[in-house]
Amino acid sequence: MKVVITSILIAIILALAVSLPALAQQNSTITITMTGLSEISISLDKTQWPLGTIASSTEYETSPPIEWCTLTVQGNCNVNTFIVGDDAKWVSDPAAYKWTLSSDGTNGEHIYALWFRISGDTARGYVPITKIQSEFWPYTGGSASSLAPGDTRQFGLRLLAPTYFFSGRQMQTQMTISAVAA
Amino acid sequence: MVACIKSAGLIAAFLVMFFPFLTVAEDVDFSVIPAEVHIDNLLPGEAAEFELTIHNKDEIAHNFTITTFPPPEKERREGRAQFPDDNWISFSCPRIEIAANSQANVMATTAIPQEQKWAGRRWETWLGVSAESSDLLSVKLYVRLLVSTSGMRFNAGLVAGIAVAIVLLGYGGYHYFRHRAKHN
Repeated sequence: MKVVITSILIAIILALAVSLPALAQQNSTITITMTGLSEISISLDKTQWPLGTIASSTEYETSPPIEWCTLTVQGNCNVNTFIVGDDAKWVSDPAAYKWTLSSDGTNGEHIYALWFRISGDTARGYVPITKIQSEFWPYTGGSASSLAPGDTRQFGLRLLAPTYFFSGRQMQTQMTISAVAA
Repeated sequence: MVACIKSAGLIAAFLVMFFPFLTVAEDVDFSVIPAEVHIDNLLPGEAAEFELTIHNKDEIAHNFTITTFPPPEKERREGRAQFPDDNWISFSCPRIEIAANSQANVMATTAIPQEQKWAGRRWETWLGVSAESSDLLSVKLYVRLLVSTSGMRFNAGLVAGIAVAIVLLGYGGYHYFRHRAKHN
């Protein structure tokens, strides 16, 4: 009996001695890798579009229409870029009155529409800007690749005013152009 | 005449001032380092920290905000799933003021809950850095955060192997001691 117990104990010790390192390998050290010293940056040479007084159901375009603003890739990594818009809010009381940004480029009562168009992008033409982030450059279905450091893209904006809105109110909105490493 | 006056009044009522700001455009110039972070072998129940450096290259101070953003599937790296819960990521300063021509570091912490189901996963989320601005156009820069977890997942093959080894060693040991006892 003593022999049996000793044998089993030795067997267990030997089996654990072999298996524990194998189990321990699954708990390896955490590694954090920052890809080189990659720096991401883009810049825009215009950020404001003073429209002044506008009329209902009327389209307005930046001037020049599609070369109004220049996006430049800085930093040292290639990027994919995106654009997203937002509702236009009454400056005096943003919570009290707004124009909803259209989701399809059509306008309505207190609903306005925005588009962008990139110079040289004949495939898409004017593209609606919505509250859901969408591709700016490159884009699905296009042959274009991501933007490299030093690359530029010129673009313009178009606004379609609501079919009806409260007059005399100063409205303000914001669009965001974003970039991520390609 | 009355109709003309009514029409003019109606048109006037539809006019508003839109984006009336005539100030000089202030383009916020900034960058973020690094553009991509990989955290590998993070165990459920553990946390990993890394620094983001925001460089304000502008001539005036700006407030920057840092938030998480779930990237659309087609923008994620191959084999990466959506990060399960953005609350697992925290920042030392989600909003920070950076002086002109200066840079600041923000510590980001990724902590995975101690649950076996989060072991052996590969996720991606984006950390968005933007400068607060009232301008029509603003810029946001995303940092790709790629997280891989490891852990002691139940390995049926390994457990079976250990069991067989114990049986075989026990059997061999038993016979060895029996054989030695007989000779003695």
